[in-house]
Amino acid sequence: MLRCCDVGQLLYDYAEQCLEPLVSQQLEQHLTDCPGCLAFINTYKQSMHLSKELRCEDIPPELRQKLRSFIKTPVSSRRPSLWERLRLRLSRSS
Amino acid sequence: MAVASLDEHELIKQLRAQNEAALGAFMAQYETRVFGLALRLTGNRQDAEEVLQDVFLTVFQKIDSFRGDSKLSSWLYRIATNAALMKLRKRPRIQQIPLEEELGPAMTDEGMIAEPVVDWSRLPDDELERKELTRRIEAAITQLPPDYRSVFVLRDVEGLSTEEACEILSLSEAALKSRLHRARLFLRKQLADYAVGRPSTASMMQKTGITSSPSHA
Repeated sequence: MLRCCDVGQLLYDYAEQCLEPLVSQQLEQHLTDCPGCLAFINTYKQSMHLSKELRCEDIPPELRQKLRSFIKTPVSSRRPSLWERLRLRLSRSS
Repeated sequence: MAVASLDEHELIKQLRAQNEAALGAFMAQYETRVFGLALRLTGNRQDAEEVLQDVFLTVFQKIDSFRGDSKLSSWLYRIATNAALMKLRKRPRIQQIPLEEELGPAMTDEGMIAEPVVDWSRLPDDELERKELTRRIEAAITQLPPDYRSVFVLRDVEGLSTEEACEILSLSEAALKSRLHRARLFLRKQLADYAVGRPSTASMMQKTGITSSPSHA
């Protein structure tokens, strides 16, 4: 018989679906009898699910444009000198 | 040249030759993911933009030294992760959450949950509410220490496999698992603290009779 503290130890592997089938079965049996563990697991998995929604769908068009013009710059002139970088930073912060 | 159909070996060859079409296709394939990764790791748009440009610059400058021991994408993510973490480390150190604290429900001496836990996982189909929850995760990520943040972003936001994330971060699987689990528990707790207090959960709790006793979010 699993206890709630055992479920806590198994939670990561359960969410990753890499528990042994027998252990997974025991855990699920515990969940049918323990609303607290069920609620905890459901909310843990929901947090994982919501985190995926933070994945970036696109980059701002002006940034894409900046990158594209960067490709067209000759390789030798891509790396700005220290002074150029400093000037760039200062113009950004002003 | 149909760059999109190139295999990785040929793509690397074209990148080394500084073939413009290959550079463009490579950027188009990865720019969004690199920007997203940098944005989540730094939590700052300006920093993410700088990381994005620095990453491609580094890739094009160092492609000759890429030995092909890992996938090209893993190499790219490693450069991006390091560049973003470097930005983070340059910032004044902010108070970070102690992840050692207990992030799960209290247990009895017998190892059983000692208090009711609210199940707020069934979210209403309300776009604003979901947006608010993801905004909470965004805010919570910025409180994670960098070692936990990088693991969480690579695995749970970007959806990389455990093996790939371990390779990018030079971490053992056990270390990754431990950090990722703590990060998830922390984020779950932050969401719970918000979700339990919102009106739709309160009405759900009333229906199930949970409100009558003190509970763990």
